[in-house]
Amino acid sequence: MRILIVDDSSTMRRIIGNVVQQLGVSKDDFDEAEDGVVAWKLFQEKNNYDVVLTDWNMPNMNGLELVKTIRGADKKIPIVMITTEGGKGEVITALKAGVNNYIVKPFSAEILKEKLDGLVKA
Amino acid sequence: MSMSQEEIEALMSGADDMGFDETEDSVDDIVNEEDISSPESENEVDVNDILAGIDGITTEAEDSKKEVDVNGILAGINDNVSSPNEDQITNVDDMHNKINSSQYPMPVSKENKVVNQLNEVADDSEAKASQIFDILSFILDENSEILQYNKNIVEFLEKESELLTSLSIKFPNIAVFNENLSHAKTLIKNSDDILSKIEAENNKVFEAMEIMQYHDINRQKIERVMSVIKKLSTYLNSIFEDDSGKAEVQIAKHISGDSSDIVNANDIESLISEYSK
Repeated sequence: MRILIVDDSSTMRRIIGNVVQQLGVSKDDFDEAEDGVVAWKLFQEKNNYDVVLTDWNMPNMNGLELVKTIRGADKKIPIVMITTEGGKGEVITALKAGVNNYIVKPFSAEILKEKLDGLVKA
Repeated sequence: MSMSQEEIEALMSGADDMGFDETEDSVDDIVNEEDISSPESENEVDVNDILAGIDGITTEAEDSKKEVDVNGILAGINDNVSSPNEDQITNVDDMHNKINSSQYPMPVSKENKVVNQLNEVADDSEAKASQIFDILSFILDENSEILQYNKNIVEFLEKESELLTSLSIKFPNIAVFNENLSHAKTLIKNSDDILSKIEAENNKVFEAMEIMQYHDINRQKIERVMSVIKKLSTYLNSIFEDDSGKAEVQIAKHISGDSSDIVNANDIESLISEYSK
């Protein structure tokens, strides 16, 4: 499974990377991007990701814009929003933009594992 | 109000059916529920109880002590609020100069600029969090190697144990086989303990890594404060801006009605006659 992790905090990228490694994903099988612009560039270049895990609030291009941009090119790839934005309105906005699942920070490794398992099985 | 993971799950399952009107209704419901739950009457009772308790505690001795303390405090205040002398007037002038040159209450340096400082705190904290993560990752990597060594040791000990079992059966009179077999079994048990301790330690490291998410959450809180300060600064600059184009007027230092010493007609006359001599 190839995963794209998008978050402007390097600590968060490492935390998420650590969890996906616990799931058995090799270090070579996931890429990291610090904003939507870098993520979109990687997405186009590699064109082989199975899941995108993205933060919402980021400089240059935020997570919501990234989701809309990806959805413009790929309707099927599972996208999970991992963010501090915990408002009902934000969750609805993200769902309408095309995210498949939503995780509010702070989250436990178990939650991310469950959501990823669910997406892979679906 | 932040949503829990369960609420998000519920939202996910019902997202397709949900319209915005329904959302507003449910938000109103939540607000109404919160209004009902606030126990104002209970608070009033508590306050009355507390006040009654305070009244009961006061004694005459304490009252007289309070009077002495209050007099002492008033004397101190009067000392401090004595009429301004020349030094103080000079200090006020200095303060005006400092304010005009952005030196008061603190010089406008990079270290004292609020948004700069908050930015620096966020960046430093990000760098340090990354270093902490390096340390935790190092512990996990080392533990992984220790587990591999331990696995090799256990494999060897199990083979030794099998060999010693056969030898002790074949040569029951040779005590050293039995002794070494017993020793090997103890070491296998110790290896199991090492395995469970390292696994417990790894779980603690994973827990610590999860808690480090608060670094990102706190950074975002700082960024929110920075945003408010920047907007406030822009607003205050706009509202206090003088676009009349007039040069700054020289302000009067002592005006009739001020609390400081103002000379009256007699004072002026006496000063004139004194300086005319």
